[in-house]
Amino acid sequence: MSDIDIKRISYLAKLKLPSEKEEFYSQSLEDIIQWVDNLKKIDTSNVKPLHNVTEATVSIRNDNIEKNNTPEDVLKNSPERAQNFFKVPKVVE
Amino acid sequence: MSNNWEMVIGLEVHAQLKTTSKLFSSSPNLFGSEPNENVNFIDSGMPGMLPVLNWACIEKAIKTGFALNFTINKHSVFERKNYFYPDLPQGYQISQFEFPILSEGYLDIDQPDGSTKKIRIERAHLEQDAGKSIHDIDPKFSFIDLNRVGTPLLEIVSYPDLSSAEDVVNYMSSLRQTLMYIDVCDGNMQEGSLRADVNLSVRKPGGELGTRCEIKNLNSFKFIRQAIEFEFQRQIEVLEAGESVEQNTMLFDTNTGETRPMRSKEFSHDYRYFPDPDLLPVNLTDEQINQIKPSMEELPHEKMNRYINEYKIDKDISKIIIAEKENTVLFEQMINESDVAPKNIASCLVGDIFAFIKEKNTEVLSLLEFTKDITDLLKLISEDVISNKAGKEILPQVLEGKGKPNELVKKMGLEQVSDTSELEKIIDEALVGEEENIAKFQGGSDRVLGYFVGKCLKSTKGKGNPKLINKILLEKLKIINGKSLIFENCDKINDK
Repeated sequence: MSDIDIKRISYLAKLKLPSEKEEFYSQSLEDIIQWVDNLKKIDTSNVKPLHNVTEATVSIRNDNIEKNNTPEDVLKNSPERAQNFFKVPKVVE
Repeated sequence: MSNNWEMVIGLEVHAQLKTTSKLFSSSPNLFGSEPNENVNFIDSGMPGMLPVLNWACIEKAIKTGFALNFTINKHSVFERKNYFYPDLPQGYQISQFEFPILSEGYLDIDQPDGSTKKIRIERAHLEQDAGKSIHDIDPKFSFIDLNRVGTPLLEIVSYPDLSSAEDVVNYMSSLRQTLMYIDVCDGNMQEGSLRADVNLSVRKPGGELGTRCEIKNLNSFKFIRQAIEFEFQRQIEVLEAGESVEQNTMLFDTNTGETRPMRSKEFSHDYRYFPDPDLLPVNLTDEQINQIKPSMEELPHEKMNRYINEYKIDKDISKIIIAEKENTVLFEQMINESDVAPKNIASCLVGDIFAFIKEKNTEVLSLLEFTKDITDLLKLISEDVISNKAGKEILPQVLEGKGKPNELVKKMGLEQVSDTSELEKIIDEALVGEEENIAKFQGGSDRVLGYFVGKCLKSTKGKGNPKLINKILLEKLKIINGKSLIFENCDKINDK
């Protein structure tokens, strides 16, 4: 049995796993991690972290407004709306 | 009860950056628009959209770096902070985590005894704001407005160097003042442009740090103070009952003035930060950073020192003026467009002008159009065209735009009589039949002079220039009685 908490991972990923598949996915994930862990065999103590292989810097834009859509465009795919608000199941803190 | 306990507080302040567009999209960064008016496909998390960084946000972060004594990091990285909530449809907040743009700054705050206390700041990083959920329209649904999604925030995280509600309010207001001076944030707490999360724990003096609770999203000085006082007492009560404080995220209920834990989640937060593959690291050159330095505005304490040293204004008055940036804008415009002594402008500003602003509940900057009129009025006073008292009468009219000072002086009949020959005539009349009092003056009585001045002022209906009347009177009294005794008396009074 792997120490992967597959229930938690599927919750965080918003994926519904049938219970009979849990064992299978746990094992698959475990295998993947073990394979990636091979990288740990390399000594990287003298290598600087690299955040992007291109070593390029972020692209930037000037602080200008562009409006290419209406509120209607962003609202039209929502399952439910109230006037120009998105309407979602109650989420309260 | 709180005698044996002290509080230890660190602050996370979220400052909305004063930009035209959002952090990663070209939507307007505007408060108060119609619901979902300022939302494009990036903000609403549509698949395939790519964020592009707004350079103005980097500039404002760098300015903050200079102002708060930070190390400005030439390498910073945007990461995804994953959480699932309808106010952020993309499913993660783009923030900076391991490599923030600013590290290790500080801010000095004033203490009641006149000394300053250094509050160390651990870091400041750029991130996106989330949208707004409205829970009280419908019992079963929440309504979502995504206008605020993507608004640029600078989160400024202090070390736990604050030890009272007073400290926190001082720190927060000093931070607000600085950010407003350098045009990074509009400082409008009511609109949420500046909000604080308070991390508070209690301990016995010198003891180990206790378990902290975080009170989320306080947006007024009053609430910050109330929340701290309440949470301090709550934690003491827990500890004195022999229990232990549970690490928790608290909400402050503005109606009851109490803090309460947020509904606990089934799982503790698991943000799973990782570098955002849509955004390359921010690599800045020395040149880019230094280019921003010349555009730095004067900081509050620099301005105050200049007022004291260059304008010779009292420290207390300077402090009142620099408290709000808009005061300094009004003040400096008056100084720049006139040759009236800055000291006179300053005392008129903190006195009569502030009183007017308070009474009429008007905006400081709305008076900018009258600065020339104000200084013209002050000039009329210093040139003795009108008395100080008349000036006070005219000022509100000037500030309401009811006319130019010289017109108002004429209209209100407040012009001082400074015509020497006219005053001489009046004084001559006043001295008729006053032989007895003249003799008293001769005898050395100063009070008689006051009596004469008063008499003359009365016959000018208060409009005679008192300084001139004084001067002419003394000269007349010399002529009336040329004895040396009176000369001595006159010189004595003249010296005063």
